[in-house]
Amino acid sequence: MSDIARARRFGRINLEIRDDMPMWKQSLAFLAGVAAGLVISVVILLVSGVGLAALLNEFVVFIFTSPKNISGVLVQAGPLIIVGLSAGIAFKARFWNIGIEGQVIFGAIGATLVAINDIGPPSLRLPLMAFFAALGGMMWILLPTILKLRLRINEIISTLLMNYIAFNFLLHLLYGPWQDPVSSFPHSEQFEDFERLAPLGWQSLNTSLLIAVALVIFCFWFMVKSRFGFQLNFVHSNAQMAKALGVRVAALTLTAALISGALSGLAGFAISAGIESRMTQSFFIGYGFSGILIAFLARNNPLGIVAVSILVATLMIAGQSLQVFYQIPFAMVQLIQAIIVICVAASEFFIRHRVRWVE
Amino acid sequence: MDFLINWLANIPGFAVPFALGALGLIICEKSGVLNLGAEGFLLVGAMAGAGAVLTFGGFPLVALGVAALASAALSLIFATLVILLRVNQVISGLTIVFLAQGLTSLIALKQGWTNKAFTGLSSIDLGPLSDIPVIGRIVFSQDLIVYLTVVLFFVSVHMLNKTNAGLRLRAVGENPDAADAAGINVTAYRFVAVLIGALLLGLAGGYLTVVVSKIWVDGLTGGRGWIAIALVIFARWRLWRALAGAVLFGCMEALIPRVAAIGIQVPQYFVLMMPYVVTLAVMVWTSLSRNPATDEPGALGRPFVREERH
Repeated sequence: MSDIARARRFGRINLEIRDDMPMWKQSLAFLAGVAAGLVISVVILLVSGVGLAALLNEFVVFIFTSPKNISGVLVQAGPLIIVGLSAGIAFKARFWNIGIEGQVIFGAIGATLVAINDIGPPSLRLPLMAFFAALGGMMWILLPTILKLRLRINEIISTLLMNYIAFNFLLHLLYGPWQDPVSSFPHSEQFEDFERLAPLGWQSLNTSLLIAVALVIFCFWFMVKSRFGFQLNFVHSNAQMAKALGVRVAALTLTAALISGALSGLAGFAISAGIESRMTQSFFIGYGFSGILIAFLARNNPLGIVAVSILVATLMIAGQSLQVFYQIPFAMVQLIQAIIVICVAASEFFIRHRVRWVE
Repeated sequence: MDFLINWLANIPGFAVPFALGALGLIICEKSGVLNLGAEGFLLVGAMAGAGAVLTFGGFPLVALGVAALASAALSLIFATLVILLRVNQVISGLTIVFLAQGLTSLIALKQGWTNKAFTGLSSIDLGPLSDIPVIGRIVFSQDLIVYLTVVLFFVSVHMLNKTNAGLRLRAVGENPDAADAAGINVTAYRFVAVLIGALLLGLAGGYLTVVVSKIWVDGLTGGRGWIAIALVIFARWRLWRALAGAVLFGCMEALIPRVAAIGIQVPQYFVLMMPYVVTLAVMVWTSLSRNPATDEPGALGRPFVREERH
């Protein structure tokens, strides 16, 4: 039988590029992707020895019926929203900021520097800590940005290498000059009351959530409404054309990268002053990837970032309790996030292509 | 003198993971697929290698094979994403790294492989050859994989430059549209290139546990995958330059444990930063070089969509 005859008999798969797809269909494909990711994750958890009833209990009942856990999710969502914004604004400028963890570390170092050296009067302490945190994050993204703009060095690798340098510097501080003088443990001394973000009066909620909301509003204005945001969109869709039409692409990239670094630094401040009340060895773990994932799933939209952050925060809180009660490593949370990204990315194929069976 | 011989004799062991990693990456990227998942493939190889030794109670060479196969299995997901589903290659690569971090941590903990020391692959003894002073220790007392790595480089250079399959592979990476028009199956070539690349990366990862550390801990690879990616850029996608770069990094890594031993007082964590600082410095040096000639594949990172062929 010739090839043609065989093709006639069995038909073949034909791919067509779609020009457009209605919004509701796109949302449906997105949700199907998330759902598929969650189903695969549930299967992995079942195989790992967590019962179905226990899963339902941990993820749904436990979290959404207790005010303590709802507030826990919201507290966790604060820094996630901020790193999501950080990744989003950088990606908009086509700058792959993979160095979020390093910038979070240097943000926390900036804040802790102010706190343990008692810089400034107590009433100004928190704003100063935030300022130095933003500065620390910007400092840590500056070198890769300059290297990209001046020498065209790939920022994916340079920002990532900066993470490892920042982490070793953090260990140097915590095992050396900044070791807790009270307990001799490798973490900084505890922050004073006025160096911590104030509680809001309901459960464990504190002002870090308000900071996150303020930053969302700022980024929404900045990325969606302002002139800068318009140019950013332009660069995102076609950098060469933007340049040809007079947009200063390099200046725009520099601005977006510095804001991204500052946001990551502020996330470091929100974690150290809002959750841990000191700088520890591991406070930053997972925020880098989560930031990238949140921005990707939310398509760099500030409001979408809030929604995805709450989902990821739920995963993280449930993951903590799985770790305690079922000996599931916390890396499971990362695994679930990766699976969801893969499924959503795969679902986008069906948004852009039409698969047809041709007889 | 002892210091020097010790140092030189240790270099190949440190260079092999970089060399195999860079080789795998170059083969994969010659087909036009940007592989940022290198760290993930190394991690899976390292964990699978350690797990295989612990499960079989020995047989380190079999364990290295298992390491390569495990990494290749993971690469099927990566290849499906970037080649069949045309997902952004940067996002796919990063996701593979994070997937591997989570997966290795979960499996190793559930199987009880974490922090469990074992006896891995030891160096070969060539009798009289290994006993030659100086040369014997440096050249004739390495483990099998060191020699295999050199062989693999010769084979790969020949395959890429002198065989039909190698030339087609490079054509696919240079200009997939033209390659497709010439009747080359772009999808198949890219799939195979990703698989071979992952096999080599998995072997490199397995080497890290089965031969070097002889223990598995979470995140054992410590960014070596990223350093291998930087090495490929430094080598401008040329195999011999990549091998030279790997040896250079091997020199540096082999030096690190010796710095403190000979009494130089540098804070410990600054010493541990060195590989990453040096990698950055090498990238700067590469980009400042006056000779811009490069073998970077023309279509690196660009998905091939036949329906959009120009």
